[in-house]
Amino acid sequence: MTDKELKVGIGDMKFARGDSRIITYALGSCIGITFYDPAIKLGGLLHIMLPNRVDPNDPKVFKYADSGIKETIRKLSAFGMLKSRTIVKIAGGAKMFEMKGSGSSDFGNIGQRNAAMVKKVLMEERMRISAEDTGGAYARTMLINVANGDVVIRTVGKPEKHL
Amino acid sequence: MKLKTYEDMNLLELDVMKEISSIGTSHAATALSKLLQKEIRITIPEVNILGYEEAVDKIGYIEELVTATLVRMSNEVNGLMLFIFKLDLANAVLEKLIGRRYDSFEELDELAYSALEEIGNIIICSYVNAFTQLVGVEIDLSVPSSTVNMLGGVLTVPMAEYGYVTDKLMYINAEFIMGGEKLSDGLLMLPDIESLNSILEKLGVS
Repeated sequence: MTDKELKVGIGDMKFARGDSRIITYALGSCIGITFYDPAIKLGGLLHIMLPNRVDPNDPKVFKYADSGIKETIRKLSAFGMLKSRTIVKIAGGAKMFEMKGSGSSDFGNIGQRNAAMVKKVLMEERMRISAEDTGGAYARTMLINVANGDVVIRTVGKPEKHL
Repeated sequence: MKLKTYEDMNLLELDVMKEISSIGTSHAATALSKLLQKEIRITIPEVNILGYEEAVDKIGYIEELVTATLVRMSNEVNGLMLFIFKLDLANAVLEKLIGRRYDSFEELDELAYSALEEIGNIIICSYVNAFTQLVGVEIDLSVPSSTVNMLGGVLTVPMAEYGYVTDKLMYINAEFIMGGEKLSDGLLMLPDIESLNSILEKLGVS
């Protein structure tokens, strides 16, 4: 496979094998989840926006943490991923606006709810999160280098971080 | 016919939103003009119903640093108002207001940040005021909240807020012409669908 960069949009998932990089930009309250099976150099990046799929007929499976993670695991497993070998890392779930005043306490907590759901679903799937960079009040760009599984987080005003 | 999502709006309904936006935006420009004591002209706003990626492309680029002010609407119309400053508009405003320009939003100090938040709030409030008078609804506004962040991250906030209903955003884009300089503003008006239906009903178009 040639060296290439795949972009993952909001509520989407892409995966690749070998010399590729997969990137998703500006995760706000959304969460990026990387899956990497080092034995076969298979990597995937899922970008979810909301915790759970309410309408079971909603075709946008990757938009939600619950259906998105399950579908990603199903797809990657079909390409040879073994859950027990796979390294999972997550980033995002920020609170972009701090709302003041009464009645707004619930607003803006979507990032936190997303993170909680991602962790719950991964635990049910018996997959351990080996590194995470979640919370805070800033957007993150997440990139996985499928050649070696390296995950890089880019934020404004801070040095790049390797998860 | 009741709308289920923003993109269900027909041309007539979009035209009505455009008309309201035009009045709202001119009120906002007047308020800004008074504050800055500078003549400000505006172009007729476009109202666009866009997906997330389209909205990002229309406003700027995904990792572009912007300052955004968010206000929640409640009472007869529920939803969000989001005003996005790009650096050129922010600088035009800040230069007049505190006599300084900034090379990047990263350099913004407390004073400049508060000034932008206040301007964003004034623009939103005058816009909503015009709107309430025109439509005849009561809207309460929350205290503003601001952030300096990547554009893409800022736009995920309304996307997530309405993500269970729609994947579209309503973006109202006008150009402010200040001292010969054309400055693009970014105002997102995001009533929830129920409120949008009642607005259109009140105006007799649905």
